[in-house]
Amino acid sequence: MLESVHVLAIALVVGTIAIVDLRLLGYPSHRRGVRQLVRDLVPYTWAAFAVAAVAGSLLFISNAPKYAHDTQFQWKMALILAAAVNMGVFHLTLYRSIHEWDERSPAPLAARIAGATSLSLWTAVVFLGRWVGFTL
Amino acid sequence: MDMHGLSEWIYATALSAAIRDNAWVVPAVQSIHIIAIAVVMGAALVTELRVLGIVAPDENLTVVAQRYLPWMWRALAVLLATGLVMIIGEPDRTLSNVTFWIKMALVSVAFLASLALRKPLLDSTRAAREAPAKGLAWILLALWVAVIFCGRWIAYS
Repeated sequence: MLESVHVLAIALVVGTIAIVDLRLLGYPSHRRGVRQLVRDLVPYTWAAFAVAAVAGSLLFISNAPKYAHDTQFQWKMALILAAAVNMGVFHLTLYRSIHEWDERSPAPLAARIAGATSLSLWTAVVFLGRWVGFTL
Repeated sequence: MDMHGLSEWIYATALSAAIRDNAWVVPAVQSIHIIAIAVVMGAALVTELRVLGIVAPDENLTVVAQRYLPWMWRALAVLLATGLVMIIGEPDRTLSNVTFWIKMALVSVAFLASLALRKPLLDSTRAAREAPAKGLAWILLALWVAVIFCGRWIAYS
């Protein structure tokens, strides 16, 4: 049950953020403007992330010492942190000047790098998460 | 040949042995499977929430469908391919499993319903003429959620 909720929430986190990431890289979404797209989708990403984090924490508590010593699990946590830093930097720098490049597709190079980084990190998080199931 | 016979036959093939003998294949294929699920869910979520008028009600429904439905079809093809690898690698885990068959039935219904209800939206004149039923949007989302739950449950039944 917890694992199903965790997988569903991850699918929604990755599925919604990937739309934003791909738009930065130049793949069209339902919005031309990045700002409006972020407003449309990121609330769902956050809600799904909160659910994934709660379900994940409960799974962790069920076998804390083993998870804590699992290399794949440690990497997964590190990459989630990296994804958070990437997002924080994006919002504090590029997103401040969104009005200058909102409609540009693909977005400026720095925003494309942020999108590609986000997409790669979340993909790696999914792979590591699945690997935890085999190494734990 | 019954299901048990079929799964024994698949298990004995060289391909099945190759999938099992390389320890990285199954987790790698499962990871790709989950990424593809994320794509289906992302596409379904935005399309259905747009039908419901919750996300981007000011955007044209046909444009939304044109953007997301092709991603859904591609991701479903990836899911079919990675799913087949998992079945060939561990046939008994899936073919003899009731939850697996429930999942297959739900996937078929969700796919055919998306095809029947959402593909017509790609035609803008038709989409403008017939507003899609909102109740069906919730049902489609619920179907995909049920598919994900069944998928995880295969490991436990």
